[in-house]
Order: sequence, then structure tokens, then C-alpha cells
Amino acid sequence: MSFKPSSYGRPAQGSADRTLRRLDRRAFLGIAASAFLPALVSAGPQRLAIIDWGVLETALAIGAVPLAATELRQFARIAVEPAVPASVVDLGLRGSPNYELLRSVAPDLILISGFYEYQLPSLERIGPVLTLPIYEAGKSPYPLALSSMLALGERVGLSGEAEHYVADTAAELQQLRTALRSFASRPAFLISLGDARHFRAFGADSMPGDMLTRLGIANAWRDDTSYSAAAPVGIEALARVPEASIIVIGPLPAEVSRGLPDNALWNALPAVREGRVAVLEPVNHFGGLPSARRFARLLAEAVAAKAAHD
Amino acid sequence: MLFWGAMALLAALLFGQRVGQQWSATHPGQTLDIDRVILVYGLLPRAAVALLAGAALGLSGLLLQRILRNPLAEPSTLGISAGAQLALALATLYAPALVEHSSAGVAFAGGTAAVALILALTWRRGLEPVSVVLAGMMVALTANAAGAALILANGDYLFSLFIWGGGSLVQQGWDSAIAIGWRLAIGFCAAIVLLRPLAILGLDDVSARGLGLSLNASRFLLIALAVWLATTVVAEVGIIGFVGLAAPVLATLSGARSLKQKLIAAPLIGAVLLWLTDGLVQLVAGEGGERVPTGAATALLGGPLLLWLLPRLRLFEWPSLQESRSAPRRAAHPWRRIALLGLLGILASVVALSLGQGLDGWSFASGDLLADLVAWRLPRVVVAAACGGMLAAAGVVIQRVTSNPLASPEVLGIGAGAGAGLAAVLLLAGIAGLGWQLAGSSLGALLALIVILAIGARGNLGPERLLFAGIAMNALCSAILAAVISLGNAQSYRLLGWLTGSTIQATGLEASIAVIGLVVITVPLLLAARWLEILSFGPSTALALGLPVRPVRNTLILIAALASALASQFVGPLSFVGLIAPHLARMIGLDRARAQLAGAIILGTLLMVISDWLSRMIVFPYQLPVGLFASLLGGVYLTFLLGRGVHRHG
Repeated sequence: MSFKPSSYGRPAQGSADRTLRRLDRRAFLGIAASAFLPALVSAGPQRLAIIDWGVLETALAIGAVPLAATELRQFARIAVEPAVPASVVDLGLRGSPNYELLRSVAPDLILISGFYEYQLPSLERIGPVLTLPIYEAGKSPYPLALSSMLALGERVGLSGEAEHYVADTAAELQQLRTALRSFASRPAFLISLGDARHFRAFGADSMPGDMLTRLGIANAWRDDTSYSAAAPVGIEALARVPEASIIVIGPLPAEVSRGLPDNALWNALPAVREGRVAVLEPVNHFGGLPSARRFARLLAEAVAAKAAHD
Repeated sequence: MLFWGAMALLAALLFGQRVGQQWSATHPGQTLDIDRVILVYGLLPRAAVALLAGAALGLSGLLLQRILRNPLAEPSTLGISAGAQLALALATLYAPALVEHSSAGVAFAGGTAAVALILALTWRRGLEPVSVVLAGMMVALTANAAGAALILANGDYLFSLFIWGGGSLVQQGWDSAIAIGWRLAIGFCAAIVLLRPLAILGLDDVSARGLGLSLNASRFLLIALAVWLATTVVAEVGIIGFVGLAAPVLATLSGARSLKQKLIAAPLIGAVLLWLTDGLVQLVAGEGGERVPTGAATALLGGPLLLWLLPRLRLFEWPSLQESRSAPRRAAHPWRRIALLGLLGILASVVALSLGQGLDGWSFASGDLLADLVAWRLPRVVVAAACGGMLAAAGVVIQRVTSNPLASPEVLGIGAGAGAGLAAVLLLAGIAGLGWQLAGSSLGALLALIVILAIGARGNLGPERLLFAGIAMNALCSAILAAVISLGNAQSYRLLGWLTGSTIQATGLEASIAVIGLVVITVPLLLAARWLEILSFGPSTALALGLPVRPVRNTLILIAALASALASQFVGPLSFVGLIAPHLARMIGLDRARAQLAGAIILGTLLMVISDWLSRMIVFPYQLPVGLFASLLGGVYLTFLLGRGVHRHG
């Protein structure tokens, strides 16, 4: 890529000013009861526009509600949480946001991830752009998502919230890890189903894959899945590790929910025969910390529900 | 016979090797042995599906070729497969219950709609092969563009389309084999029953009617049968191109003379072809999954086969295209009309630049706001307009050089060739700069055009065969693209974006490249318009008039290839502007080469400006690719064009 992952297109209004403002906010937050936090800080101090979904989650999670973001209809279906306030303007497709509309929104900070750097020349004409890397080839996404959240918090004057969220996430992870101890005795495949015959695996370089390991469960899929390059694989590949469980991340295409119960090969997989399959609600495949938490929580819930059922 | 025996043996060996491998992995004692399950529910049904689907496609192709008396008719050239696929994609998105209920039904509806559209379009032309295949290609390309737009618009959600667009034969049960098997059995029996009418349909209409046959009823019945077989395959395993085309032709070449022999041979050869291809695909497949879906692989093998076959094919006798070529009245003052067109173009550009939607709905921008918006809209409008102009110029050149009114960069597969070149560059270099991408696509376009013209030069190829060669080239390059896109990585998104033709990222740099390209290409052409005039009289006349035909032709072809490559780099291969702009120019009475060229260039820019505006406005704030819109406009015009031969043929 010819562009540097450049960040602050234009220096912010002066750091002294920013620090002061952050102090004010800190002081204010100190007085406010923590339970009211999300409601009170519903708008960050800056006018944000967000192109990447993972970054959108991250911003919403710390209470930085953007003026505009991309593909909100699909976001509500696939990423599900956090909920996007109705005030946020839909900018169109992630791959081709409507720059005219973005221009009239007049953001003073545009947030993207590395995947959208090819749009930098266009975006920088509208406002300063901040790239928050969550996925980089060969790196674990969780630490990157974490540092991206902290960097964003710093940038928009919500450091306290960001630190709080990060600490919360770590605590929840620890707790879920304990809850999943019995499940962790076996490795697990982490897949999403494309049709009734093919799946895509999440390797260690994906967010769900990374979370799986952090929850103490070995990933049965050994190969890297290198960011978005996930070649569809035939279901028989799941038989390679017979002792593994299978975790399916939604959404399930209609064809799959219809065809899978009749799929002889699927039914013959040891995990399916022995009831070691968990089907989770949709999770953003390329999400940030909120998606990571959502995945961990959904997995723990599914395992608990299974245990209660048995 | 011997050859096919050897091929079947090879396929069987490949299969045997896989089975042996799997067999040795099974554990005889265990009751629930996963390796045995893979053998019984994975490997064996896969081979069965390959054989049955190949046979079904072979039979379907044979029926279609026979009924339409068209040696190039088959499910994919007639747009049946693409129509079925688009129907399935649409239903998956907007009526999932339908797909759940019966995916084969949805596919059949889509395939029937495609074939009905094509027959309706070409009925008045007596289902003349070139028109039929051209209409089929138009339907297929438009359906593919719409499908690609669906993938783009829905992000990850339709990743199943990647697999299924390429036609993967992976099986996990016997359902598909059974579904295809019983339909094939019924289809085969029906074909035997209808043997007599089928034989007669090979004759021309007059003789057939003389034999007292209810011609159309039998035709429709058999076409429905062929569509049913083909769409079943699409619903079960996806698009598998060329088997339906190659099997009947190869059957004839291998010595099947009578219809009865062909009815046996074509399905058998189809079965062996697909089985062998699938065996090879499995051989090269690694641990991480198949790199090339079988459907794309068949097209990869079939495209060259078709190109090789073309000079050897005996086409049925049809009235030449030349005769149906209309001779519209020449305008008395062509330059006045061109000036008027230019005015219209300027007006459209002004509207496209100023009228739009924003946060508060529709508005005509003016003053500061306009200046601000123009900074965004101008590069897109300029890129779209310049590409429209280049495609139109290329279209005029190609139509005049080949003396073929239906030739154009899109139809001859030059755009698709540029795409294949682009794919090669992206595959080799990963992330390539604009310069390398341009170099790759230019080279691809040039190669495609040279191959087509080389084939055209063999054995006095008429305009029909040139078009057929273009269609083969289109199919071959599309197969390469499908294979690369099915990899599902960053490059495939770039190619998908290219395929649909998007000007969204257009910047001042790209706009200036496009404008420079337009000027560099069109000015010499306008100056050399006299050559075009002379060339369209045919090579012998041109020689007699003292024109060095060969170098002039080659120069013109080179220019046309460069223009198409440059344009398709920005707006994709599917615009059809290169086909329709020259026609429109002729229709408004711009007949002489220079006037037609100038008029077509302006019309091309006009069409693209309108397409670009529509693509931005129709689902605001979501933006659709401009190439898609242009090809929809082009499709509508082509419909009109094909239906227009009425009076001349009636």
C-alpha cells in the first residue's frame, strides 16, 4: 500500500485545550453516578464520521456517537450490538460511502480501519482521518482492538470510558473463561456456513478465533485465515479433528437451515453425533472489542444452555 | 470412440486413486467411521453428480442446439444458467421462503424467464443463431452484473455466491445426485419419445411444416425440457459452463451421425468431460480447500476448445446479417445535428453536476455549494463521460473494420480480456498501482482482440463467426474472472468492483488520464476517418482505392483495443456503450464515418453521464456501480435493436 497509515491529518485544536476539556469531563464524570454514564456522555466532543464497522462498534461502546456511519441497515442485522441511535446518518456501502453526503455532514474527524485506506485520498479532502488498526496480517486482533479503543478514547476525549470498557472486557473475559472451563477440554472449530456444503473457518488471526484462544479453548483450525481471505472449505474437512467441537457463527442462510439437517456428512461428524455443536447468533466477523465480548458472551450462553438441557 | 474410452479411463483412474486413498483410511471394525462416511457420502456422490450433471448438460445442450438449429446454443450461452442464478440470488435475499421451499423451482423460473426473453427478442428474426446467442449473452452479462451488484451491496452475507457462482461439485449426501438423476432419466425418455419431431426440427421450417408437425408446440416442449435439466444442475451445484456446448459438438466430431447416436453420445461425452475435469480439480486441490471450482475449470478448458472449433463448425444457412442492416436516411446537415447533440451533452453534464440529493432531499446546487459539490461530482462525471466517448469510438472502429453492425468492444470480449489481464496483474503483484493495472488490462484487451481477429482471418470468417469468437472469448475470460473472484480475497473484491464498473473512487488524476486518453484516441481517429469510410466497403475495394489495408486495419484495431482497455479500467467491461452509441449515431442520420464517429462519441458520453447520475440517485445514499446502469440501458436498447429487424425479415 502506498499510503502511510497516516493518522492525524491535521493537528487537533491544540493539546492544552484538549487536556483541559478532558479534565473537565473527568471531573464531571467523577460526580455523576457511574450507572448513568452511557446516557450522560451520549455525544463525544467531536463531530465523528465512521466508515469501518469495527471502529463504529468501538466508538459507540465508549459513548462517542458519530454523526454518520456506513451500511447501518446491514449493521443492525449482522453486528447487532451496540444499537445505533436513529440520529446517525447512513452513508451507504462501506466500500463506496457517499462522499457528497459525508461532506455535508462535515465531520471534524473521520475514522477508518486499515482496510479502507484506499479511500484515504477521497476522505482526506473532507476532513482529518484517523486510522484505527484492528486487523493486520499475522497479528492477533484483540490487542489491536484494545489499543485502538484506547487511542480513540484519547483522541475524542473519552479516555476514562475507554479505559473503563477495556477493564470491563478483561474482567468479563476472565469470568467467562472460568465458566467455559468444562467446554475447554476439547479443541473447537469456529466456522460460518456459506451454504449447506461449505464453511469458512476462523483462524487465530480472526477476532472470534483470537477470543477462542483467550477463553482457553484450542482452535482446531490450524491454518491462518489471513484477514478476509477465507477460502470456502468443504464440510468434510471438519472430520480431520474428530474430537473437536463445532461452533457456528450466524447468520445461517435459509438454504443452510433447510439443508443441513439432511446432510449425511454433517450428521456423521463426531461433533454433530455427540451433540457438540453450538450455533451462535450473528457476530460481526471483523468487529472490535464489543464484537469480541458479544462472541464470548454468546458462546458462554450457548454452552450453559446446552449444559442445562443435558 | 477410442479417445473417449481413454478419457473415461483417465477419469476413472483419478477417481480410483481418490477412492483408494479414502478406503485405506477407513477402519473396517468401527460402526461409525467418519472416513467411511466421507467415502460413501462425499466421494461417491460427487462422482455420481459429476457424471449425471455432465450428462444432463450434454443432453440439454444437444436439445437446444437441435431445436434452435444453432451450434452454439447451450444453457450458458443462452443465459439460462445466469438467469437461474440471478433468480436464486434474488430469492435468497428477498424471498428466502421460496428458496427454502424449492430452489429448483426458483432456478427453473429464472432460466425460463431468460430463455423466454431471448426467444421473444429474436422470434421475429426467425431465431437466427447470431441474434439468439447475442441476446443470450446480453441476458447473461446483465444477470451477472446484477448478481455482482448484489454481492457488493450485501457485503459478506452472500459469500455462498462465490462458491456457487463457480459451480462446486462438493457433495455431502446423495440428494443432488438423486435430484439430477431422476430428472435426467425423465428428460432422456422424453427425448427418445420426441425423437421424430426432434429429427424434423433439424430441418428448416418449410420442410418441417410440410411433414405436418405442430412445430411450435414441439419446440416449446423440448426447450422447456432442456431448461428444466439445465436449471436443475444450476440449483444443485451452480453454473457449469461449456459442457452443454462441447458435448454435442464433440459427439458429432467423434463420428455420431444419426440423431439417435447423438442422443446417446452427447450425454456420455458430457458425463466423461465433467468427471475428468472434476478429477483434475480434486487432484490440484490442497488441504485448505479447492482453489478453482469445477464449474470455472470447465469453462477454462471449454473456451479454447470453442475457439479452436469455430473455423471447423458447419453453420446452418441463415440470411447474412449484412442484408438486414438498415440504411437510415442520411442527414442533410450532419454537423448541425452533432452540434445539437453536443449542446445536449453539455446540458446533461450541467444537470448531472448540479442536481442531486443531500441531507435535506433534492436540490439544485448553486454558488458556493455547487463549487463544493462539483469538486466531488466532476471527476466522476468526467471519467464516466470520457470512458463513454472512448468506448463509442472503439465501437465505431470495430464495427467499420469488421463490417459487422453487431460488433463492439463488449461483444467481442475485449472488455473481458482487459479484465483477465487485470486479474493476472493483481494475482502476480498483489497490490498493483494504477499504471500496472492499466498495463495489464491493455495487454489483456489487445491479446483478446488479436486472438479473435486471428480466428476471424482464418477461412474467410463471416460476421457471424466473428461474433461467435467474441462470445467464446467473453466466456473464457469470464471463467478466469470467476475463478479468481471465487478465491474470496482482497483481489477478488477489486475484481468484483471492476466487473460492475464503479467510478466512485474517481479522482482528478483518473479524470485527467481518462480525458487525455479520450483526446489522444479520438483526435487521430477523427482525422483518419476517411480510412474508416473506405475500409467499410470491404478489403478489395479498399485496396483498389489505394489504401494499404493491412497496416491501416492493424493500427485502427490497436487504437480500439487501447480505448476499450482504458475505458473498462474505469467503468468495467459491461457498458454496451460501444455497441449502442454507433447505432444511435447512425439512426439519427450520421452515416459518413467522420460524422458517425463524432456523433457516437458525444452520444457515448451522454449515455455514461446519464448512467452515472442514475447510479448515484436511485438508491441514495447507497451508490450503485455506473457500469451496471449503463449495461441495463444498453440491454434495453439491444432489445429494441434485435426486435427491429421485423420489417426486413417479415
